[in-house]
Amino acid sequence: MFKAFNEAFIKELLEIKSSFYKIGLLTLFPLFVFGLIVAIFYKGVAYEMPVVAVDLDKSELSRDILFSIDSSSTIDIKYRVETPKEAADLLKASTAYGLIIVPKGFAKDTQLLKQPKITFMLNTQYILVGKILKAAFVKSLNAMAASFDEVRSLKNGDPIELQITPYFNTSKNYFYFLVSALLPSIWQMFIVIAVIVSFGTLFKDKKEQEFFKGGHISMKIFGKLLPYTIVYMFLGFGFLYYLYFYLGWEFQGSFGFLLFGMFLTLLAYEAAALTLFVTGFDYARSLSLGAVYTAPAFAFLGITFPASNMNSLALFWRDMLPISKYMELQISQANYGAAMVDDVSKLFYISLFLLLFIPVVIRFKQRLQV
Amino acid sequence: MSFFEVLRSEAKLIFSDIAIVLTIIGGVILYSFLYPQPYANESVTSLRVSVVDLDRSDLSRDLVFMLDATPQIDIVRSDLSEDDAKAAFISGDIKGIIVIPKNFKKDIYQNRTTTIAIGADASYFLVYGAIVEAASKAALTQSAKIKVAKLLKESTLLEAAKKEYTPFSFNLINLFNKNNSYIEYVIPAVFILILQQTLLIGLGILGGGVNESLRSRRLKYFVNADIYQIITARFIIFGGIFFIHMLFYFGYSFSLYNIVHIANIYELLNFGIAFLAASIGLGIFLGSLFTSREIATPTILFSSLPLVFAAGFVWPKEAMPEIINYIALLFPSTSAIQGFLKLNQMGAEFNMVLDNYITLWIQALLYTILGYYFINKQRKKYVKI
Repeated sequence: MFKAFNEAFIKELLEIKSSFYKIGLLTLFPLFVFGLIVAIFYKGVAYEMPVVAVDLDKSELSRDILFSIDSSSTIDIKYRVETPKEAADLLKASTAYGLIIVPKGFAKDTQLLKQPKITFMLNTQYILVGKILKAAFVKSLNAMAASFDEVRSLKNGDPIELQITPYFNTSKNYFYFLVSALLPSIWQMFIVIAVIVSFGTLFKDKKEQEFFKGGHISMKIFGKLLPYTIVYMFLGFGFLYYLYFYLGWEFQGSFGFLLFGMFLTLLAYEAAALTLFVTGFDYARSLSLGAVYTAPAFAFLGITFPASNMNSLALFWRDMLPISKYMELQISQANYGAAMVDDVSKLFYISLFLLLFIPVVIRFKQRLQV
Repeated sequence: MSFFEVLRSEAKLIFSDIAIVLTIIGGVILYSFLYPQPYANESVTSLRVSVVDLDRSDLSRDLVFMLDATPQIDIVRSDLSEDDAKAAFISGDIKGIIVIPKNFKKDIYQNRTTTIAIGADASYFLVYGAIVEAASKAALTQSAKIKVAKLLKESTLLEAAKKEYTPFSFNLINLFNKNNSYIEYVIPAVFILILQQTLLIGLGILGGGVNESLRSRRLKYFVNADIYQIITARFIIFGGIFFIHMLFYFGYSFSLYNIVHIANIYELLNFGIAFLAASIGLGIFLGSLFTSREIATPTILFSSLPLVFAAGFVWPKEAMPEIINYIALLFPSTSAIQGFLKLNQMGAEFNMVLDNYITLWIQALLYTILGYYFINKQRKKYVKI
């Protein structure tokens, strides 16, 4: 029995060695895509976002205020125009993400206690950028208003002040937020595709009878999967190491526990990939199915848009993806530092996917009989 | 060979291949329903929060009421201590904690500043943002009310009282996607990417399959036909199918999800045709390079996530290294997304998207030429033998 496992493993290694494509799927390609994602978010925080200003007052106060806003590292008043319409056009062309209008008579009205308003228009089609700009703008303006208000606020301070604490991801860095979810999303794509490629090429080249000759089908399947299991586990460990050791993001819980969860997720995806494959034993078709199954996964992780606000159809599809449970586990261990006993249920859930190996082996047996 | 014969042969190749049909018809329809699902509820509401009210006065209860009244927050627990609340947070029951200190009311009446603590899970940005924004608003509104009331008591005129609050203030206007709908944010762009990727996969499978068949000396027609005819046939078939898909996506699907569309339909179609032309060109080019049918799907699949983020609508292109921007521009989806969002979601004039438009046509031309060159090369390789 173990001999069959071993045999299949060695055969697969030879297969891989002779195919640049398969070697690539295991090494170069995933590393390349990981690298692209890291490069995209490398800067982590948005700096110097271009904004357009229309100063209709041209007073010392208006210049001071615009200067104060410009000195924020987030905002760069890159364009100054004379009319609001020109400014709006720049916004529509997405050349600028925000527009500031200081109305005529602003300085005078401030003196006269008329509380004039500065208009800030944000392009909120780009939600993330809109949020970042809004926060930066409000911060600058409040700082300016406070320095004004000093004399008066000594007498009439704000009764309620706020102390805001972000739990976890305290630097509120978009890089961590997105990359820690994107890397696993890409990882699961590669696992499914590599497994389908491995078995797909076997059947396409009509070598399956020869490969499975002599019985012990399940052992041979696992042996054939072993190179991928090893390498993708290594790659998974690699990206975790990158995030939590190389970059030093906080990891509060048990790393070993998370690795175990990652291993189960890997096996779960191998089972899922084979399940897709055995629907027709057709190489190209299973690839299409694999694409449908893995491509949208990122959105369903609930990192960008939270799962608590998804509808039931989305939640159903989400439950079909092991990576969503894995992501919960990763956040739970890394961010919250939850106790293992609290997260065991997640591991259990992921393990359920392993049951898919049973119908997979049955289907293989049926197919090989023919 | 007559063009009509070539067209028929290409069509036969395409529609008899289940993998292609699955992708370009099934995939497109399925993705149009699948991708928007996570965002279908549009914005983040009813986040579970606990309030630790250490004051239990009528004033603090007012604040709690105001907090619960916000759509983003649902006060689902009131814990007796911060530790209790934190335990609930760790167990996943709540996503935020608000603490009202003891002596809240007393401090306010005695003109001392009191501090409300708001904590939320920053592991999930929208969650954090929604809780903090809603809680801040409720607390600051109550603060302003109290301040105005106090000033009034000190016999300051109501107008002056309101204004003493700050010397100047601001008007914050959200342009485009005013409701911060996540669907409006993501879906228009994702749909364009889906169209491109499925188109590329379809043509990739076709091209790769042809190369495979050439190697095994099958496909007589392909060897005999004029390459111009083959390319034109592909443009017609894929162009026709995807034009209909485009109408489906930007008409029906948009209405289904209540996504705004501002643009003039002719401008949109014009722009869309440029996008399709560029994508078909790229697909023919890539197809001529693929050595087998099965290389297409994974290759295009792996490029999807990087392309989504490099397109510059989730994450601004100013925040990415320049080289990434240039690589992203090689793909029609990048120019198409940028142009389309401006036209349709932001109401830009066509001349504002001219640079995107021209880029797409240049790509259409360049990629088609490259495709021609490589198809020719592949054929020569096998016809000789």
